[in-house]
Amino acid sequence: MAVAQNNASSESRPISPFWTIARRDSLAGFLFIAPQLIGITIFVLIPLGLVFWYSLHEWNVLANTFTYTGVQNYRMLIEDTNLLEVLGATGIFSAGLVIFNLSLALLLAVLLNQKLAGITVFRTLFFSPVVVSLVAWTIVWGFLLQKNGGINGMLQLFGIEGPNWLREETTAMISVIVVQAFKNVGLNMILFLAALQGVPNELYEAARIDGAPRFKQFRRITLPLISPTILLTSIITIVGSLQVFAQIAVLTQGGPGLSTTVLVYYLYQQAFQFHFFGYGSTLSILLFVIVAVLTFAQWQMRRRIVFYES
Amino acid sequence: MAEVTLSKVRKSYGAVDIIHGVDLDISDGEFVVLVGPSGCGKSTLLRMIAGLEIITGGDIRIGGRVVNDLDPKDRDIAMVFQNYALYPHMTVGTNMGFSLEHRGASKAQIAERVNWAADILGLSHLLERYPRQLSGGQRQRVAMGRAIVRDPQVFLFDEPLSNLDAKLRVVMRGEIKTLHQKLKTTTIYVTHDQVEAMTMADKIVVLNGGRVEQIGAPLDLYDQPANRFVAGFIGSPAMNFLDGTITSEGFIAPGIVLPLPEAAHGFHGRKAVYGIRPEHFTLHDSGVPAEIVLVEPMGSETQVTMKLGETQVIGVFRERVALLSGATIRVRPDLASLHLFSNNGGQRLI
Amino acid sequence: MKAELSARRQVFLYGLMCVLLIPFVFPTWWMVTSSVKPISDIFAFPPHLVPQNYDWTTYRKVFELQPFVRQYWNSAYIAALVTIGTMIVSSMAGYAFARIRFPFANTIFMIVLLGLLIPAEVTIVPLFQMFLKAGMVNTHWPLILVPIFGAPSVFATFIMRQFFVTLPTELEEAARVDGLGRFTIFRKIALPLAKPALASVAIFTFLHSWNLFLEPIVFLSSADKFTLPQALTQYTDAYGGPMWNIQLAAATLTALPVLMVFIIAQKHFVEGLAHTGLKG
Repeated sequence: MAVAQNNASSESRPISPFWTIARRDSLAGFLFIAPQLIGITIFVLIPLGLVFWYSLHEWNVLANTFTYTGVQNYRMLIEDTNLLEVLGATGIFSAGLVIFNLSLALLLAVLLNQKLAGITVFRTLFFSPVVVSLVAWTIVWGFLLQKNGGINGMLQLFGIEGPNWLREETTAMISVIVVQAFKNVGLNMILFLAALQGVPNELYEAARIDGAPRFKQFRRITLPLISPTILLTSIITIVGSLQVFAQIAVLTQGGPGLSTTVLVYYLYQQAFQFHFFGYGSTLSILLFVIVAVLTFAQWQMRRRIVFYES
Repeated sequence: MAEVTLSKVRKSYGAVDIIHGVDLDISDGEFVVLVGPSGCGKSTLLRMIAGLEIITGGDIRIGGRVVNDLDPKDRDIAMVFQNYALYPHMTVGTNMGFSLEHRGASKAQIAERVNWAADILGLSHLLERYPRQLSGGQRQRVAMGRAIVRDPQVFLFDEPLSNLDAKLRVVMRGEIKTLHQKLKTTTIYVTHDQVEAMTMADKIVVLNGGRVEQIGAPLDLYDQPANRFVAGFIGSPAMNFLDGTITSEGFIAPGIVLPLPEAAHGFHGRKAVYGIRPEHFTLHDSGVPAEIVLVEPMGSETQVTMKLGETQVIGVFRERVALLSGATIRVRPDLASLHLFSNNGGQRLI
Repeated sequence: MKAELSARRQVFLYGLMCVLLIPFVFPTWWMVTSSVKPISDIFAFPPHLVPQNYDWTTYRKVFELQPFVRQYWNSAYIAALVTIGTMIVSSMAGYAFARIRFPFANTIFMIVLLGLLIPAEVTIVPLFQMFLKAGMVNTHWPLILVPIFGAPSVFATFIMRQFFVTLPTELEEAARVDGLGRFTIFRKIALPLAKPALASVAIFTFLHSWNLFLEPIVFLSSADKFTLPQALTQYTDAYGGPMWNIQLAAATLTALPVLMVFIIAQKHFVEGLAHTGLKG
């Protein structure tokens, strides 16, 4: 018994009965989560409350007045004719991004899942934009998309007169979607690839024996089996699309007109360029509600579209 | 080393009781096996002794000291887990010395104890390896080494052999027993395998549904099972049971009358369960008729599935029985080894 | 699907992938090559895929026009602090949520997960006011504290929790029997085994901090406090138009080191991301 410790007292309970194992566990648990919990309280919960509080006020920074106006900011929300356009742009941007991003990611994942030599090189290259600094990536694309930039230069070699991509409404929206999609599609691609590799090979062998053609195998076996990943990536991508700010700020500053002014960019303008903090807060609440509703809706859809869950 | 005492130990998850008041005395140096079907609470009981599960009621004493609210580390026990639970990121040597490191032992002390344990278990050449580089049996030994380096008061084993193949299990069974005879540390060993229980234990505790069915030496449990559950659980192939009535003519079971010993006189007219182990039949012309269903020759003995009246039973015979199904043999139950149980509750009658 | 592919099919697949690669790889190539072209060549027609004249002065101007070294350091040290801090905070919280039984654990976890639903933009106005009151505007504190303790770390906590849930409980029980306390078990058993999850947390967190754009432009106002993404947009001429070749040179300096690290460690990178928690 050289090393082991031994409390000499025989019948006495050696420690205070208050600190039972369960209580000590609780204490440890709270200590472990304390930094995160305090952080969330200070940097998320309190600000969220404040945003709501601000949204009920008229806040004039220059005159330094802060007056309670009730739902006036919310009434303004309904009457704000720009907002309709902004929400339209946000919707087009998010929908376009999700559709383009997910289908491209799935296509790339299927390609990378083939038995080909040197496939990891392709995987690395497709993934590389994810690690390129976001603003750097956006600046290069902005450069490429200039009227006399690289893309139009290439098109001109084939005798095509390219548009001024970032200065025309339709092409500006397409441009920001495409730039954002190529930047981050690698993440979804990797998630899809992992999901594809998780589909047991026997299923394909069984389907081949049953005589199912390739396309049918993909539709009837692959898609249902990776549907949890499709749901997950679509949630991540949609929520992410609602936060896209740097790309808009660098490429189009919301223009031309309001055609690429998404909600986040509008919020930034109202609050930090025009100093309408009260109305900016109301827009924040709107953004929060949209994100919450979309996430909740997608979560509910899980039962309908996800055929299979591990 | 120390004795371990459980008094009225209970465990419940919410409203569900898992352990219903277990009393158990384990003396210093004893090898006790907790055995029972899966879900009987044997592992939970062991983990309560280890301090890995919180006790709902009662007291657990190790070496006279109440340990209910002590952390596992303060109970001076060592445990071998079913999946060995070797730390994958440490070498065999570090794994074995890890507990000493956290009890303030010096480097030299640790090295000495680790070498001593490795020597006993034949692990000396593996100390630099990582767990993933070892075979199942070697991992098992490392897990045991980790337990013995510390020289704890009590060893706890939680189904340590269930992940090994049948042959290795027999080898390791012997090694654990030998180790215990060498170290004489109080050992509590959990298994669902009654063969392990029979071969290793000084004392067997049979658990069922969170209650102790019987405590006793292996052969006592075999010869004098306290009830029908223990009778059926201990012994392989399992004891045969026939339902029927005790009368002066014998035991009337469906389609057959079986002989009874003198001691059954007091129970005439009573419904009961007739229990007879497969090895307690002998082939004899004066026996009762049995229709053969299946003959399985094992070489050293023959296992025969047969029908006594309408009940199917198993008999094991030293003789070679070269008969086809449908044939009839005559068998005689050994009245000295006969068991009678009550038909409700299953308590032993004689 | 895994059957051997015919030669024709292979050629087709390689061809398809090479075409698809263009928008992924060409921008980086164009950034690097254009950054050393003289301004006169930068919009030349036909475009030069390889520079015909080199003008290295762009790189000197990057450092002359702005305190670029300082800005580089700002981004680097902020990202490093945020990464380390997040790893500590979220691995502890993730461990507790996965492993320790304490009252209201599930409710608290749900509240913490709320952070995933709140884009940084939603709370930026009150955060700005709070940091203004605390005298921390135009300092790096908001860029350090909010990511470590606030909403961005929730994703990391989620990844860590998903990982710790899968870690065999027996290992920790063995450690408890071996004499370790909660914190020591966490540090000596759980954390070393969580390296893959920690690696992906580190990657996500670093990239997130490195790319932060809205927060710096809201919180920072003097050039020597700027972080890289913000600094890149400042290379403009007197009329506010971008000085393309200098901007691209600065962008190259920003992007290439991370890209190099990625290419060297891509195996850990990609597989780490694929195998942690994210699978739902």
